[in-house]
Amino acid sequence: MSDNKAFKSSGTLQLATGKKFRGELVAGDTSASFYARSDAEPVVSFSYSELKSMSRVRRGGTSCQATIILKDDKKYIFELTRGLMVYDYMNNHWAERPVEVKTRGDELRRLAELRGERIQRPRHHLIRRRHPNRSIGGDIGIYLMLVIVALLMAFPLVFAISASLKPLDELFRFPPTVFPRHPTTDNYSDLLVTMGQSFVPFSRYLFNTFFITFVGTAGHLLIASMAAFVLAKYRFPGGRLFFGVVTTCLMFTGYVTGIPNYLIMSRLHIIDTYWALILPAFSAPIGLFMMKQFMEGLPTALIEAAHIDGAGEMRIFWSIVMPNVKPAWLTVIIFSVQGLWNNSASTVIYSEAKKTLSYALQQIQAGGIARTGQVAAVNVIMMAVPILIFIFNQSRILETMASSGIKD
Amino acid sequence: MQTSQSFASRFLTMKRNNIKHGWKLAKQNRTCYLFLAPYAILFFTFSILPIATSIFYGFTYYNILEPARFIGLENYVNLILQDEVFLTAVKNTFVIAVITGPLGYILSFLFAWFINELPKWLRAVAVVVFYAPSIATTAFTVFSIIFRGDAYGYLNSLLIEFSLIDAPKLWLLDPNYMVTILIIVILWMSMGTGFLSFVAGFQGIDKSMYEAGYVDGVRNRWQELYHITLPSMKPMLLFGAVMSITAAFNVCDVPRALCGYPSTDYAARTIVTHLFDYGFSRFEMGYASAIATLLFLVMIVCKKAISSLLERVGT
Repeated sequence: MSDNKAFKSSGTLQLATGKKFRGELVAGDTSASFYARSDAEPVVSFSYSELKSMSRVRRGGTSCQATIILKDDKKYIFELTRGLMVYDYMNNHWAERPVEVKTRGDELRRLAELRGERIQRPRHHLIRRRHPNRSIGGDIGIYLMLVIVALLMAFPLVFAISASLKPLDELFRFPPTVFPRHPTTDNYSDLLVTMGQSFVPFSRYLFNTFFITFVGTAGHLLIASMAAFVLAKYRFPGGRLFFGVVTTCLMFTGYVTGIPNYLIMSRLHIIDTYWALILPAFSAPIGLFMMKQFMEGLPTALIEAAHIDGAGEMRIFWSIVMPNVKPAWLTVIIFSVQGLWNNSASTVIYSEAKKTLSYALQQIQAGGIARTGQVAAVNVIMMAVPILIFIFNQSRILETMASSGIKD
Repeated sequence: MQTSQSFASRFLTMKRNNIKHGWKLAKQNRTCYLFLAPYAILFFTFSILPIATSIFYGFTYYNILEPARFIGLENYVNLILQDEVFLTAVKNTFVIAVITGPLGYILSFLFAWFINELPKWLRAVAVVVFYAPSIATTAFTVFSIIFRGDAYGYLNSLLIEFSLIDAPKLWLLDPNYMVTILIIVILWMSMGTGFLSFVAGFQGIDKSMYEAGYVDGVRNRWQELYHITLPSMKPMLLFGAVMSITAAFNVCDVPRALCGYPSTDYAARTIVTHLFDYGFSRFEMGYASAIATLLFLVMIVCKKAISSLLERVGT
């Protein structure tokens, strides 16, 4: 029973009678047991061969609610912090789960194969129809349109990349070509040379951007999550009002508040310091918004259970809520990085040594016709970073975005 | 904000009846305020205070060097009655917002819907293709090469090739084309955060609702969209609308980078570039604040209108 590979998760168990226990579920290779707090003997113990069915309800993060029914029709409902992992583990070891159901057609085909007859394979449709009420014509029309629009959307990006690979003579060829005939990486190496000649060492710009992005994002994540946690999970006077104001402020971008922000920053004496970029990034409304909406999906039972155990708010926040909202972290991080990465900050930072990479690259772009190739290379670098981050985290971002709606 | 308003009114009546109770409630939850405090302080400083400052300076003459001088509504009167460039800016902003806002919104929704029915791997690719233009915020500068004014520009060379024009056109410098080009570029970038929210929202809809729909006789995709999908997507629809309004009214980088700043005859001027001009080039902060205040008002009114419109969708 107590094997090394067992998976554990804390949470609650609810019996069919409505009785609730708090404790830990330990799932081993062949059986699982639920230990209540301070009890040596498990409250419930069952081997996987006794299972009749298992179903789960996803709640957000890594937590889930799993309902388990045994063959003697005993029903257990688990609410677990690391429920997904435990569930998957149990699911993998559940040997007697119903095997795929064979249809009459499958059986006939097997018999025919045994007799050595030629089998007529079922025809596969070009487009698998998952919805019975869709017309094929409509499907084809929509797919055709999707392809055309996708090509139109992608063309400027593809063009930007191919331009950065063209040697200078091809950049000014008439008629212009979409793809380079002799692709080179000259533009990128030229860019390195130009970078080496800048007034301030180029690594300085790089450091500035990394520093600002890192500190701004980390602080934003922490501060916004703390605020989102209490807004999502507690009701207190002013909370709803505050969130309403934040939602409205989603609409006001940096451009419009730029001027008064400048005045305020100069009063605070943070103009021309890193703080002028970092502090506003801490309080970006979009991060709080996303975080709060995602945290609402967390089961309140988890937090209540921890409360009864005597954990303080900070403990709950740090060891229960934060690990459970990891997908939302990434989303918040990405929105924040995207904002800071592209921030050229020309209005609040004057000293050359404190300027950002994006500013330095814009200066190269302003270099005129002779730098056309390098401009294209800069463009590719600037756009590649956010796109790559997005590509690698798409599924987690979408998971967070699923809770992004504004409930009126 | 329906909820916050109802909360505010409830809070006020509660206050009137029993201030002590509210105070007790707040005291019980003081940890909540501690958690909220760091964010709330920064948010107040960098989001609420700027808006309040904007509204205040909107009524003054302020050029940073001299102390602000109260001049009442003069800024607003000048803006509307005398500043012809502002009127061009308003006209451009509204033309761009009215076309790209709703169109971008509808396109985001439609494509998110179409993409939703693709197989999983293809959906992932499609999401990247559609979303990439808006996250790669500087990528739109390639349009300055596509629409370049000499014969090396793509559009020009293409049109010359097919003998549709005989001399290259100055697409980005000719007031006749600027707004159209801006609209095209902004539409290209319009599949933003709202689009992502739609894609995620579609995946979250309970599949059994569709099955129930087949049984109840939902005959085609449009009926399904109206009766099943739209009602379950309301929160995302509102979020997408907020994002669309934001994008449609805050057009600034695109005209500055493509059409020059200032553009020929101010033909590509928008409210935000106008604000930039007065705020950061001429340092007429009072005047710029008045512009910002007007923009706030317009956006809030738009959001209100859209959220009340969405109330009626899909019943």
